[in-house]
Amino acid sequence: MPLQILLILVVGGIAAVAVLLHLTGRSRQTYLDEGKARAAWSRQFPEQPAARVLVAQNGKAALVAPEAGQPPLGLVWSFGADAVARDLQHLHLSKTARGLQLQFSDFGAPRANLRLNPAEIEQWHRIIAAQSFDAASGEQSNTAGRPS
Amino acid sequence: MMDSLSYPDVTQWAVPFFIAAILAEFLWIAIKGRGGRYETRDAVTSLIMGAGSVASGILLGFIAWGFFMVLWRITPLDLGTSIWVIILCFVLDDLRYYWVHRLGHRIRWVWASHVNHHSSQHYNLTTALRQTWTGTFSFIMIIRAPLVLLGFHPALVLFVGGINLVYQFWIHTEAIGKMPRWFEAVMNTPSHHRAHHGRNPRYLDCNYAGVFIIWDKIFGTFVPEQKDDPVDYGLVFNIASFNPLRVAFHEWVAIYRDVTQPGLSWKQRLLYALAPPGYSHDGSRDNSETIKAKHLIRNPNDRGTPGF
Repeated sequence: MPLQILLILVVGGIAAVAVLLHLTGRSRQTYLDEGKARAAWSRQFPEQPAARVLVAQNGKAALVAPEAGQPPLGLVWSFGADAVARDLQHLHLSKTARGLQLQFSDFGAPRANLRLNPAEIEQWHRIIAAQSFDAASGEQSNTAGRPS
Repeated sequence: MMDSLSYPDVTQWAVPFFIAAILAEFLWIAIKGRGGRYETRDAVTSLIMGAGSVASGILLGFIAWGFFMVLWRITPLDLGTSIWVIILCFVLDDLRYYWVHRLGHRIRWVWASHVNHHSSQHYNLTTALRQTWTGTFSFIMIIRAPLVLLGFHPALVLFVGGINLVYQFWIHTEAIGKMPRWFEAVMNTPSHHRAHHGRNPRYLDCNYAGVFIIWDKIFGTFVPEQKDDPVDYGLVFNIASFNPLRVAFHEWVAIYRDVTQPGLSWKQRLLYALAPPGYSHDGSRDNSETIKAKHLIRNPNDRGTPGF
């Protein structure tokens, strides 16, 4: 097949599929409630059942405590129509204008950009920094320091 | 002995059919409300991976071609191009595909090239096109060497390999349940290949066939799709990026990081590149055997069922 024709077919085909899927609502991200977050966590870490789950108000992410009081915590977040999960070790945590950014040392999962409301930003930052849901109130000091 | 022989590049000629079939599958799912899922970024990533794979073949194909032509000059055998030779070549090449595919799941260096095909959490016709960009670097083309040395012309070997890949396109769908029993018994089908794409412990390392499922039955790797264990698509540890560069290279980067970590022996570094995926020098990771074993501890009733 002539290269020009192949190029037109490939570019045109990809564009047509992308437009069709987007216009028919296939770009919506999955919504996580507690049950879905637990299921997504269990799917990735079947040997570490979620003891506690804190779902973000917008339903796009959830913090998970696999065992009560035991670090590391975990994160489940929307990934297109699905969800992915990671434990919160070896990460760089920073605040952004609209939430938190977690950068992982994982080329296949480089970062999670979490959109959170102002109260959640502070609360989630404290929890992740302390690796403990008990830090949610802000009464405990951030001593665990797993995120770097 | 023939030196110049050419066949059409069937994968390139199939591109219009691929696009039409994807649109038809999507419309069928949208109208019926069942038979699969589509997600925009996942599908676009798969299609870009497919385009990149074709581009990679155009740019790097000369390496494999040059290797095969050297073998063709060496071999004293020439089986010609009769229809029976083409059919025989197709069947033997499918056996070759079975072993290439099996090695692709059991040797991390080859898995690094193949992993992107399994990196979608969806299973539809676009998933079929989520193909490797780095096949040349896996050196797995050497598995085709016996065919050329037996007297099959390199152009014929690549031609039947292309037909094999085109066949595998249509089996990447949830829109087709089961084919007739005789067909399911002999041929690779959507049902058999869905199981291959499963990340469920039961379905790890099964159904490597390209066209004929009989190879899995002969070599003991066949696991039928189970109604009570729906296939969960994707990787044991799913990636979280739609970026085609990350999809294409994430396992290569992971190998590099593992091999270059300090304090390892040379044997351990070699095993990080060549052992089955999931190897770790300190036992901190799971491979498919330990994943199945741990599953059986949690679900002892599954012992003895297909895949365990």
